[in-house]
Amino acid sequence: MPNNNAMNSRRNFLMQMSGAALASGAAPPLLSLFLSRAASAQNGPIAVPGEDGMIVRSYRFVDLETPVEYFNTWLTPVPHFFVRNHMHEPSELSANPGNSDWRLSVGGEVDKPITLTFPELSKFETHSVVNTLECAGNGRSLQRPQVPGVQWGKGAVSTARFSGPRLRDVLQRAGIKPTGKHVMFRGLDEVPGKVPPFIRSIPIEKALDSDTLVAMQMNGAPLTKHHGFPARALVPGWIGAASCKWLTEIKILESEFVGNFMSPGYRFPNQPVKPGDAVKPEDTHPLTALSVKSVISGPIDGAKLKPGKVAVRGAAWAGEADIVKVEVSTDGGTSWNPAALGHDQAHYAWRLWTYDFKTKGGDYTILSRATDSLGRTQPSTPVWNPSGYLYNAADQVKIHVA
Amino acid sequence: MSHNKRAVWGSRMVMWGRTPLRQAQGRLSAVQSGAARWFAMLLVLSLASIIVVAQSAAPAKTTEDLPSGAMEGKASASCLECHEARIILQQRLSKAAWAKEVDKMVKWGAAVDSSDRDALIDYLSANFGPDQPGYEPPRTSSDKASGKSGEKKAK
Repeated sequence: MPNNNAMNSRRNFLMQMSGAALASGAAPPLLSLFLSRAASAQNGPIAVPGEDGMIVRSYRFVDLETPVEYFNTWLTPVPHFFVRNHMHEPSELSANPGNSDWRLSVGGEVDKPITLTFPELSKFETHSVVNTLECAGNGRSLQRPQVPGVQWGKGAVSTARFSGPRLRDVLQRAGIKPTGKHVMFRGLDEVPGKVPPFIRSIPIEKALDSDTLVAMQMNGAPLTKHHGFPARALVPGWIGAASCKWLTEIKILESEFVGNFMSPGYRFPNQPVKPGDAVKPEDTHPLTALSVKSVISGPIDGAKLKPGKVAVRGAAWAGEADIVKVEVSTDGGTSWNPAALGHDQAHYAWRLWTYDFKTKGGDYTILSRATDSLGRTQPSTPVWNPSGYLYNAADQVKIHVA
Repeated sequence: MSHNKRAVWGSRMVMWGRTPLRQAQGRLSAVQSGAARWFAMLLVLSLASIIVVAQSAAPAKTTEDLPSGAMEGKASASCLECHEARIILQQRLSKAAWAKEVDKMVKWGAAVDSSDRDALIDYLSANFGPDQPGYEPPRTSSDKASGKSGEKKAK
């Protein structure tokens, strides 16, 4: 399996190279592009099994960002799928789930609490959902003034086909009492110091949605440890934090779970906030679905290109809504042109898009903005908030053509 | 340009570039025209990457250190038990924001002597204030997973 992953990345890399070469038109500029990028990085690579060319936001514990230039396949290969851990990964999980001590318990407001082994969970009917998973803090480093937290650039987002039992089937096996209004997930994250455990809950309506899963597979292969092996919640269209990894306990509650990662964590101001202002906890609400957003995957910011055709490309997503259009500006936002949307689509998945234009010479500021089926369009300036969540300003790259 | 800097993309290129070229050829034969040019480009890139790696130094340390200063030792002891320095190195916060972070971390178990609190906040805001240049993170290589990376194992 690791070899397959490695092969996928190689293929992907070849495809990327073709894309980059189309954009730049010839090999020498491409080579110089690679070399100039090599010069901008500060350190040599860090070996992380199964993770290719990812940006290391943290190594201990692991937080890895996908470079935007990898956003050129509809499904993100697992070695290129961003990794967000709040704490250390569980050290005690057996690599052989059939024989492991891993159990998933389902309790709380149920008729009969149950405990499932890996083989028992595997026997439920499997359902697949292609979902774009994005960390609520994606783009945090672009907020001004800066806010604390993992300083994600644009790549704490990826797309995969997740498969596993429907959460509702698992809950119904235990029997949901009418008093059950929220569903809590607890993972096996290893908590350092007195850090509060990573426990969150989602409302029962979302838990019973036919696309909310207890995912056991990603792109057709068992979950890797970085992505929550042996099972994780998959709450499609919602912030990544809703999709708890290394799931070990599901509990139906009468009210929303009370804990750090529900409040003050992962909350958004009810009203617009002046950048830098404090917000009272009672003036916030829990984050749920993602915003409308697009990111330019190529050309990369700062690229030096030869005159000729430039293929601007990227991805756009909108949480629980659908992307209806992506527009590209090549003149810094004065005029906008429709991009062509890729054929691959699924309700909770991003759309790839392209826009070709001819360059003569000089500096170009290229922007992209997406609009979704709810009528939301990316704002031209970021919506600042104290924790830097849901950054979704129109994306921008600058290129030099000579 | 330091040798270290060149290693990042250099070794990545070797990692993929040294894929059996037959495989690359197989994919490229699907291209209607200019297949030879594509192949030549791949070859150039592979050769270039070999040269780059030949000059490269040892890979980056997996974790980093906090900057030197009177509080380096105490800050390392207080903060780095639960997370690595890189989490701090990438922040760019005002003194008020650093104070909030330090107090939160103390609540979460960081051992900070109350007489060291202000000095720790000064140290963090002096080194990681809003006007400092951005932190350049390293990249990963997956050599252990594939077992076939071009990167030499440092032993």
